[in-house]
Amino acid sequence: MKKALFLALAALTSSVLAEPAAHIDVTKLPTQSKMIDDVVVPVPSEIFAVLDKLGKPNWVAVQHKMNGVVQAPSEQPQIALLLGVVIAEGFIAVEAEDAAEVKQIGKSVLNLTKALGVQKKAQMRAKAITDAAEAKDWPGVRKQLDKALDDVSDAMKELNSVELSHLVSLGGWLRGTEALTVVVEKQYTKDGAELLHQPILLDAFEKRLANLKPKRKLNPVVNKVQKGVLEIRPLMGLPESGDISEKSVKEIGAITSALVKEITSKSQP
Amino acid sequence: MKRLIPLLLVLLCLAFGASPARATIDDALSFALEAADPYVKEGFTVREDYWGGDLAVKQTKAIVHQLFKGNEYWFWMGTDSKNAKISVHIYDSDGNLAEVEAFDSSKKAHMAGARVQPKKTGTYYLIVEVEKSTTERTTWSLAYGFK
Repeated sequence: MKKALFLALAALTSSVLAEPAAHIDVTKLPTQSKMIDDVVVPVPSEIFAVLDKLGKPNWVAVQHKMNGVVQAPSEQPQIALLLGVVIAEGFIAVEAEDAAEVKQIGKSVLNLTKALGVQKKAQMRAKAITDAAEAKDWPGVRKQLDKALDDVSDAMKELNSVELSHLVSLGGWLRGTEALTVVVEKQYTKDGAELLHQPILLDAFEKRLANLKPKRKLNPVVNKVQKGVLEIRPLMGLPESGDISEKSVKEIGAITSALVKEITSKSQP
Repeated sequence: MKRLIPLLLVLLCLAFGASPARATIDDALSFALEAADPYVKEGFTVREDYWGGDLAVKQTKAIVHQLFKGNEYWFWMGTDSKNAKISVHIYDSDGNLAEVEAFDSSKKAHMAGARVQPKKTGTYYLIVEVEKSTTERTTWSLAYGFK
């Protein structure tokens, strides 16, 4: 009996010990608890999944329709940013259920990846995007667009172009954020605006831009993006308790819209 | 020939030294993805990005991550070490335990996981830990999915 009681107590103690702490001091993480520096940027479908639950925005009004296949600008950093913007545009076209635009975007992705030297991986993906759009398989298109981002990122890492891969993510994030501000502004709610609360992502982008090779930082578009990210930071990085006001949403929208225009300049046929 | 020996040794070290480390992280990731498998059937999309490394016993690692209110997330941790006890827990930006469900590797060998339905959009802390292990360093990997 005593033995059974002892065993039960031991099991209880071990299970209690295994319980995680209900609270930790995040400003004083233990010294052995080294922070991992690599921030994972959310894929667009992660944000669109939330938007799906918020209602049915007028996505056609959010779209930036393209006049033909997007042409590659001359400098690689701008091409990388543009590729991200185009992929994000693909997500908006999916929401708008615009098959013709999605197909155009598939061709544009191919054109831009060719200019970056990573078209091999993108070829299959572009076909899959077009096929899914033709079949009006919208969740399928979303999945393929997410994978297009992963493919490009992997191919660029293989080519030792991690910096360019970061610029692709940033371009996508800027267009996605611009679209988000349009949706939130149309019918402002605190819950909707809260989606813009992304301080660690802005910190990561800021850091990545600051660490770019000097010749890339000299690119005028990259330079403007770097300044824009610094302008957005205080608007999107409020303390957790602070609400993002309607005015801030407008300001974020204006900054991201100007940056997207800058990135897409020299890209229309 | 003598000049070639150091070069051959370096190449041998690279061949036999680097690949097992890579292999164990890949193995740990395989277990994390195996843990994810039932939830994929429930509609969770698994991200291709993942975190990984190795830890000593009782050592923790913190990962800062952006989560969105409205989505539901699962974080799956894996290790290639069968006897290791690993865990992952999720805290919000104020340091409060935020997960709604969790399991450690005492329930499923090689795997741990935690599910969260964020109450706020913003910064979250993922704390991974090797609680017990028979090896000095235990390789781990962390994947996540959302719906």
